[in-house]
Amino acid sequence: MDFSFTKKEEAFREELRTWLETHLPAGWLEGNRQLPEDLNEYSAFLRNWQRKLYEGGWAAIAWPEKYGGRNATLMEEIIYQQEMVRVKAPPLVNYVGIHMVAPTLMQIGTEAQKEAYIHKILTGEEVWCQGYSEPNAGSDLTAIQTTAIKDGDKWVINGQKVWTSFGHLADRCFLLARTSKGEKKHKGITVFLLDMDQPGVETRPIIQMDGKHDFNEVYLTDAIAYDADIVGEVDEGWRVMIALLMHERTGIGGQVFTLEQQFADLVVLTKELQEDGRPLLKQPFVRKTMVDLYARTRGSLLNYYRNLTKTLKNGQPGAEGSMDKLIVSELTKDLFAQSISMQGHRGLLWQEDAIYGDSYWQENYLYSFGMTIGGGTSEVQRNTIAERILGLPKDMGR
Amino acid sequence: MDFSLSEEQEMFGNYVRKYLADKGETKIAREFIKGNTEHYQSIFSGLVELGCTAINVPEEHGGMGLGALDLVPVLEEMGRNVLPGLYVETNAFAVPILEKFGTEEQKQKYLPGIAEGSQTFSIAWLEPGGSYKPSDIRMTAKIEGEDILLNGTKSLVPDARLASSLIVPVRTAGEEGKTGISLVILDLSDQTQLRGQKNIDESRHLAELTLEDIRIDKGQLLGPLHQGWEVLEEGLLAANAALVSIMVGGMDKVVEMAAEYAKIRVQFGQPIGRFQAIKHRIADMKVELETARSLAYYANWALETEAEDRVQAIFSARLFAAEAFNRAAGHNVQIHGGIGFTEEIDCHLFVKRARFYENYLGSSYDYYQKAASALGW
Repeated sequence: MDFSFTKKEEAFREELRTWLETHLPAGWLEGNRQLPEDLNEYSAFLRNWQRKLYEGGWAAIAWPEKYGGRNATLMEEIIYQQEMVRVKAPPLVNYVGIHMVAPTLMQIGTEAQKEAYIHKILTGEEVWCQGYSEPNAGSDLTAIQTTAIKDGDKWVINGQKVWTSFGHLADRCFLLARTSKGEKKHKGITVFLLDMDQPGVETRPIIQMDGKHDFNEVYLTDAIAYDADIVGEVDEGWRVMIALLMHERTGIGGQVFTLEQQFADLVVLTKELQEDGRPLLKQPFVRKTMVDLYARTRGSLLNYYRNLTKTLKNGQPGAEGSMDKLIVSELTKDLFAQSISMQGHRGLLWQEDAIYGDSYWQENYLYSFGMTIGGGTSEVQRNTIAERILGLPKDMGR
Repeated sequence: MDFSLSEEQEMFGNYVRKYLADKGETKIAREFIKGNTEHYQSIFSGLVELGCTAINVPEEHGGMGLGALDLVPVLEEMGRNVLPGLYVETNAFAVPILEKFGTEEQKQKYLPGIAEGSQTFSIAWLEPGGSYKPSDIRMTAKIEGEDILLNGTKSLVPDARLASSLIVPVRTAGEEGKTGISLVILDLSDQTQLRGQKNIDESRHLAELTLEDIRIDKGQLLGPLHQGWEVLEEGLLAANAALVSIMVGGMDKVVEMAAEYAKIRVQFGQPIGRFQAIKHRIADMKVELETARSLAYYANWALETEAEDRVQAIFSARLFAAEAFNRAAGHNVQIHGGIGFTEEIDCHLFVKRARFYENYLGSSYDYYQKAASALGW
């Protein structure tokens, strides 16, 4: 058992820290972390940040060197996430491109696809989104109804996608469409690399319960893709999707490290909130709740490290990632619910009227409801844990 | 970064698992419940031969000189089988405090015996109607020349009949504070006055111990006079780190039982494990089990390496594991349905043992306070 980092790993951390200190947007480290509200400015801001990461060699560290990566080890990726969380770095606008699309293309893409897309993903020149979920296909992705019908060397695509993150900023989409009706529902799905900039693609914003706009609906009306845009084989998109998931080897590390920080923030809050002139944290009931949250927060981090150790030994992630996802998302929800509850009735106050004059707690509280849904609901994670780890039988119908 | 037990540790755990499986797993506890103490003693001798009792005893006293983490796999296996006995009290409480606070004579007298299995310890702390707080330690110890004169009653003493000695907090001065409490080692004999106390976890025996003008040698004082509370607190760190792992073992078996039963029990034409009401509950039990295990590994690592956060790590792990074990043991009964409510099936053994640990060596409330204080709250 050993929690230390090697000298090489520490040097890597130091190099990244130094780079971040000089390259983060002006004022960022001092707390000026407001993102522009105007869509164009917002887009430019994030693309600019990715460009800087690219120029510093920090955009896609896990990629092989020949594609512009650093061939980083899994531990270096973990350190990268820790450091990005520590400075609360701006979001990576091309997350889907860098962590999912490009590694998949490197593995099973054609030479032409590699040539056309990988470098532009790295520089941020082309931002990618993911076209998976549909109104009638959430947890059950095999139920997708978007169709792609062959017409010469073209494919004509019709349907609707939903929950498309950064869809309003994206240039291209990693899209699942049904190309035939197989006997098994996961057969007959094909992955297309779709150009978003065409008349047949329309993006509409989804306003979330926290008032923000991260997600979109994407309407596909006779949208066009070509044979050359297919990843892998026609009707074998399910296998491409599974291959793509295996590239997510750090799992939810970023969220685990974020949660640690948020717990520390909650401790500060319970010290600053007072009742009868004493910090709330001195009340027995609050102390119990906070010790419970402390144990669970530590537990989520330690579980993550334990699963990471397994991944390091086996070379690839296992079903334990479902446990990490379930634990962290449910705990985040409980943590922010607690933060609002402990503020008393003023926990309702919003924006400039909220405690400390911003809605950090309120926004994160509302946002947390999405965490146990997006990226696989808690119910899906529980199925995975029960079936793949404990060997319980699958549901009827699956 | 390597957060896992070593191969040697895993391997040792496997030896213990095989040995206890050969001996019938929970049948050992069931024999003990029937009153067959000799049977348990023979099983214990086998564990001694495997080396379990020597693990953390220093080499110069006949042990292997290993640390808290090396106890973890053994503790998990014991927990899986609701094993009776005083392994935690002896190896995870008495050994560390003897090592740190014992005189050379005491070490010579007790440690080699522990390593070879002839010496076991229990803890006689609580008194009738009292709590684990300093103010409730009323048994008096008067120093008279080379003797210590003991008077008072201890309650809920675990497995005193299996123990060769007891570690006893007594009052040598003052009336209620921490200062004035000392620890003495009381060697038991067939003449020691013990009254068995019935208890729902029959795989652990409890007894009341009454001492009237009992004289022991002054050399039986363990640690500094009047400052025994600090010795106790040190012992509690090690004992609790071990308790977490033993509870993890119990949970491990409970989750396994629930999952295996859900695979074979058919209702409405299908295994009940197909129903999400059952499946998801078991998944949640598994998640809590693995969280408790991670906390247990870290707690024992922190103890062994004297990490700065060891106090909060150990006590919060204990709290989490005790709650989670009790919850899982209860769910296991429910998932088994009617058969789970019977004496015949093991579910109840775990329910009872989980409850045994909940407030053992300090109440949950005490430990919440201790963890919060250690966090600087």
